[in-house]
Amino acid sequence: MAELSLVLVTPERTLFDRPVASIRVPLFDGSAGFYPGRAPLVGRLGIGELRLTEASGAVESYFIDGGFVQVKGSVVSVLTNAAMPTAELSRKVAVAKIDEANAERSKSDAEFASSSRRLEKARKMLALASKD
Amino acid sequence: MANRRLLVKRLKAVRNIRKITRTMELIATSLFKKAMDRATEAAEYTRKISEIVGDLGRANLKFSHPLLERRAEEKRSILLVLTANRGLCGGYNASVLRQSLIHIRSLKEKAIEFQLEVSGKRGIKFLNYQKVPIHTQYTTFEDQPSFAAVETLANRFVDDFIAGRIDRLDVAYTRFVTSSKQFAVVETLLPIGSLEGGIETKSEAGIDYEFLPSAQEILTEIVPAAFRAKLFKCFLDAAVSEQIARMVAMKGATENADEMAGSLKQQYNRARQAGITSELAEIIGGAAALG
Repeated sequence: MAELSLVLVTPERTLFDRPVASIRVPLFDGSAGFYPGRAPLVGRLGIGELRLTEASGAVESYFIDGGFVQVKGSVVSVLTNAAMPTAELSRKVAVAKIDEANAERSKSDAEFASSSRRLEKARKMLALASKD
Repeated sequence: MANRRLLVKRLKAVRNIRKITRTMELIATSLFKKAMDRATEAAEYTRKISEIVGDLGRANLKFSHPLLERRAEEKRSILLVLTANRGLCGGYNASVLRQSLIHIRSLKEKAIEFQLEVSGKRGIKFLNYQKVPIHTQYTTFEDQPSFAAVETLANRFVDDFIAGRIDRLDVAYTRFVTSSKQFAVVETLLPIGSLEGGIETKSEAGIDYEFLPSAQEILTEIVPAAFRAKLFKCFLDAAVSEQIARMVAMKGATENADEMAGSLKQQYNRARQAGITSELAEIIGGAAALG
């Protein structure tokens, strides 16, 4: 039977490196799921939730912030700027970040792009957060 | 005897200093291990990035990106100098600063304007003393630089470069080769010379990748990512090298203190024995005179 394993790396550390049953990642334009035997792929990631199901059926979920995904053979590598378990997201922090991004007054296109990106990230965080 | 008391005092001082240097050595050792672990973990990310770049290379695609292009005329540049916040680490800061001064001189000769950015109190102090104008200074990068902090820095450099405000970016730091070999270098990070970052990517050819959204899009995204990873690696290398330098310096200091304490102890014993002998001679002399 074909196998699948996930390597989740950020510039600071390797968060996850184990065999899994299936993976769902947020691509730049929507979700994509990978099962064993996926054809090779390199894709750009968006901001959102990475969900993986282990062979035992247990589900783990991470919040990731952009990056790339590479599928090669049985290994799925996810390279992202920052990742943290979804369970650690807090609603309060996300709301504070949304307010912060909204309060900013952009003076240039670059500033606007950066603050709207932060706003998008904070909104996704809020949508996924489960604790206060 | 005054001399003997002086020796005891010095011996105590040397032993106290030894205690301090020994502790600093132990601290540096544990910090080095931590920094080293971080650097090894970070290497995985860089390796994967270069792997994807290698895959892109086989996708028959023209490698063109503003960050890769060398400007015909280099007029403005940024020099980022990475030093430590604290001293007592041997020649670590001195060698980085020496390299940066050499680089500054060559920039001046070529009449390239430069903007100096310095991280670490030691470098700031030294360059202020040399009266080299510092544009920005950072003291927040300690022995565990966070990616988020480096990322904001990297994004600013990328924006400046693309907007044409700078034509090149150089970083003066201590490169870590092995735990017994590190040296100070000035490296040009922008424009990016080679994307692979010196790592040979020999993944098996002939894998036909599907690129989402397209190979070109991935390239535009991955070039800045590769740059960020490279800059982060400079910071990590500097942190690891600093701890090694401190470890070695403090080990040397501890050994010297041991040696010094030994010779002082010997001097003290000799002085003590000399005192006893002269006292005995006095008593015998006195007794002989009475008899």
